[in-house]
Parts: sequence; C-alpha cells; structure tokens
Amino acid sequence: MKKWLSIILGIMTATGGFLDVGAFATAGVAGAKFGLGLIWAMLLGTVAIILLLEMAGRFAAVSGKTYMDAIREDFGFKFYLLPLTSELIANSLMLAAEIGGIAIALSLFTGISWHSVFPVAALLVWVLCWRAPFSLIENVPALLGLVTLSFVVAVFVLGGPQPEVLSTLWKPNIKQGELANYLYLSAAILGAIISPYLLYFYSSGAREEKWSEDDLVANRVTSIVGMGFGSLSAIALIFLAAIVLQPLNISASTLGEVGITMAKPFGVIGSLLFAGGLFACCLGAALEVALSVGYNIAQGLGWEWGEDKKPVEAARFNLAMTIFLLVAVAIGLIGIDPLQLALFGSTITALFLPISLVPLLVLMNDRQYLGDKTNRRFTNSAILLVLVIAFVVAAVSLPLEFLSGGG
Amino acid sequence: MPESDQQKEDLSIGDIIDNQLETHDKRKIGRVADIVAEWREDGSLVLTDIVSGPQALARRVSSHLRPIFAFFLRDRFEHRIPIDDIDDFEPTLHLRKNAADYEVGQSDRWIADHILRWIPGSGH
Repeated sequence: MKKWLSIILGIMTATGGFLDVGAFATAGVAGAKFGLGLIWAMLLGTVAIILLLEMAGRFAAVSGKTYMDAIREDFGFKFYLLPLTSELIANSLMLAAEIGGIAIALSLFTGISWHSVFPVAALLVWVLCWRAPFSLIENVPALLGLVTLSFVVAVFVLGGPQPEVLSTLWKPNIKQGELANYLYLSAAILGAIISPYLLYFYSSGAREEKWSEDDLVANRVTSIVGMGFGSLSAIALIFLAAIVLQPLNISASTLGEVGITMAKPFGVIGSLLFAGGLFACCLGAALEVALSVGYNIAQGLGWEWGEDKKPVEAARFNLAMTIFLLVAVAIGLIGIDPLQLALFGSTITALFLPISLVPLLVLMNDRQYLGDKTNRRFTNSAILLVLVIAFVVAAVSLPLEFLSGGG
Repeated sequence: MPESDQQKEDLSIGDIIDNQLETHDKRKIGRVADIVAEWREDGSLVLTDIVSGPQALARRVSSHLRPIFAFFLRDRFEHRIPIDDIDDFEPTLHLRKNAADYEVGQSDRWIADHILRWIPGSGH
C-alpha cells in the first residue's frame, strides 16, 4: 500500500512539475506565432525526457551511483569539466529565468513590478535550498503545480481550436523570413523539455531517497505516466496561445502576455490560476536547477552532499550552490525579460544536449554498472535520434536568429 | 596467494584514479586526483600514496597549468594519503581513519567555521 501511495505521489509530482519557465515561454510563443505547428517538438521532447528520466532513475537505483559520480569515475576529470561547464552556462541562464518567472507570478498577484519583487523571489529560492528537506523540495511545488492542468480544461471551455488553427498541426504557417525563428523555437522547446538538470536532480534524488532495484517499477511508472500527463499542460498551453493570442496578433513576448490565454476563458480566476501555476512550476524548477548544480560540483569533486544534511555538514556543497545562485541573481538583475532569457537558455541547452546526454547512453549500456538492466537497442536509437535533431536544429537556428536580430 | 592480495595485484590505474574517498566515519572528503609511486631497489615500482587536490587536477588538464597553480596555491591544498590507509579498492576507496584525521576535506570544516557560521540556519 505504501509503495502504491509513493507511486501515486511520484506521478502527481512528475505531472505538476513538468512545466518550468522554459516550457511556459516556448509553449506560449510557439502557439502565438505558429499555431499548433510546433506541437511535434513538444511531443518529441516529451518522449525523450520520459526515456531519459527512466534511464537516470534506473542507473541510480541499480548502480548505487548518481549520474555525475559515474561521469567522473568512468570518463575522468578532463571530460567531467565538459558537462559541468555546459550545465553552469545553461543553468545560470535558466535559473535567472526561473527566478524571473516566480517574480512575474508574484507581480501578477500583487501588481508590484516584477523587477521589484525579483530579490524576494531569489531569497525564497535560497532559503528553501538552504534548509528545506529534500521531500519538501521534491513534492510541495510540484503538487501546487497540478493547478496547470486547468490549462487543459481551458482548451475545452474555449471549444477547442477552429479548423484553420487545427490545420497548422500538420501544415505549419511559416511566413517568409520566419523560418529561422521557427527553427529557433523548435530547438528551444526541445531544450526546455529535455533539460539535463532534471536528470542530474532525479538521479541525485534517487540516491537521497536510497532507491534500490525494488524501486524500478515505481521509477518506470512515474516517468512514463507522470511526465506523459505533465506534457498535457504544455500542449494545452500551445493550444491556448494558438486559440487566444494568434487571432489578436499578440506575439507572447512576455510571460504576462502568455497569461492572457487563461484570462479569456476564466476571467480574473483564470489569471490567478495562471499566476499560481507559473509560481509553483518556476519555484520547483528553480530549486531543482540550483540543487542540480550543487550536486554536479559536489559529486564530481567527491565532496559531502545532501539536501537533508545541515549546511555545515555539507559545507562545500552548500557554498557552491549559494555562489551559483548569486551568479544567476546577477544575471537576472540585468533586467532581461525572463521569457526571452528562457528562450535563449533553452536553445543553449539544446545545443549542449549531446555533451550532457551521450555519457548517459554509454553508461546505460555498461554491464558493470547495470548487469542485465542495460538499455535496449530501441531506447539507444531513439535517444540518439532526438539528440541529433536537437543539436542540428539548435546549431542552425542560433546563428540565423542572431543574424535576423532575434524573434 | 590470498584472494585479497591477488585483487590488489590485478588493479589498474583506472580502478583508483577519480574514485571517491570515504573516511571511516562515512564522510566523503574528495576524489583521487593522482598517484605517487616509487622505484624500489629490487626494480619494482610500488604505489605509495594517492593525491587529492586542485594542483594535481590542474596537471591532468594540461601540464602548462602546473606552474601557474603551483605559484598561486603553493601546495597548500595538495594532500597525500598513504596507500596503507586504504581499506579496500572498490569504486569508493574506504579509508581506515576518520575525516578529522585527514587534511583532505578540511576545507569543508574551514568553510563551515569561517563562512557558513555567519549565515542564519547553517546549523553551526
């Protein structure tokens, strides 16, 4: 009974925690600009993250090692610096954007400018990283994030998409000169959904909770069902932006504009539901990003780590996490809109995906770690294919986007 | 030959380098950055110490970094642990003594005592 309760909790947290600022931003902009023409990227990203999360959990449960432990031990210190550097760059942008997302949610609740409440949002993230137990960080924001399922309800309340919007699902409406932006958004969606920080956080969480082979079923069910349900909110947000924003020629250039999608079907309540979802999802993701960087540094260098320890019991881990948070706050204080920062950070993440994920594929086929629990050929091929797509799209679109002056 | 001796003979450098160092009181204090070996009179090359610290890591990234790190750090963070202190050579190297007995990982205590103690809720 306890095991099933744990599985249900896992599904609920994976569902509620699916969205982050990158998903909010990319889904909103994609729907507003290209209708349903980028749903393929969201679906592809969802399949990839389901496979990858299941792999990261299986690796930690069977080998007793986190993903970063194994990278350092199997690939050596020089190689370890590659995923570490790519994570530091991409995650500093994403953490700044996540804190910005929390600030915008607070701003929608209070009417105070998001710039003014940004330091409050950053302080909230730091306090929770500093002292909250792992179970609270893992569960509470994600359970609050279940409010984003209201996006699915909103699509039905609005009567679903009109035929001309629906046709963009298989025939994207890409106007002349917008191909670069379409590709940039494709890469951003893949980067936002297939976020490597999730894998580092998930595999570290499996060790924090001392998973063993007995937890493999829970791991599989949680990844497939939870992330599957979670993607519904993101897909619903694309539908909402296509139905509400595109006809009004609103390009969703800020998260506040994305929030209009919920005001149309539900009025003030809708705006509050959007703000609540944004707050919960960005808070959960900010905690995961900050912790994952702390884990990456501490595990790679062999330091004591663990969110359930007092800060002085894992001093270097907590100091590294705090310094990283300060760097992200400094980036956020520059004042770039969190939505634009999230789009850029997500595309950079897509560009770095091979660095972060190829080692996982190698490790998942190592019998020394996994015995008979290694990957099947289909899983390897599917992940390789997604990695190539994400990398090529990001590598092509980033220079084009810069040359065209940004979206 | 006893099985444990046979296992020690079969070790490769990959079984030691980059592995986790864990003390008797279950504290993770660092990872193996390098090894020290010495030629014996009988012609054998014997592993004597493992090394942990940023200078050894810098050497592994590039030999050009070696003098730069040596100039700035002056061996202060370079620590050796005698090979006899290692209980077993699993992916985690279990050490015989407690964390307080090793210089490796003392930066954890220094940071706790000098920085974190000023921050509320640190548990100091």
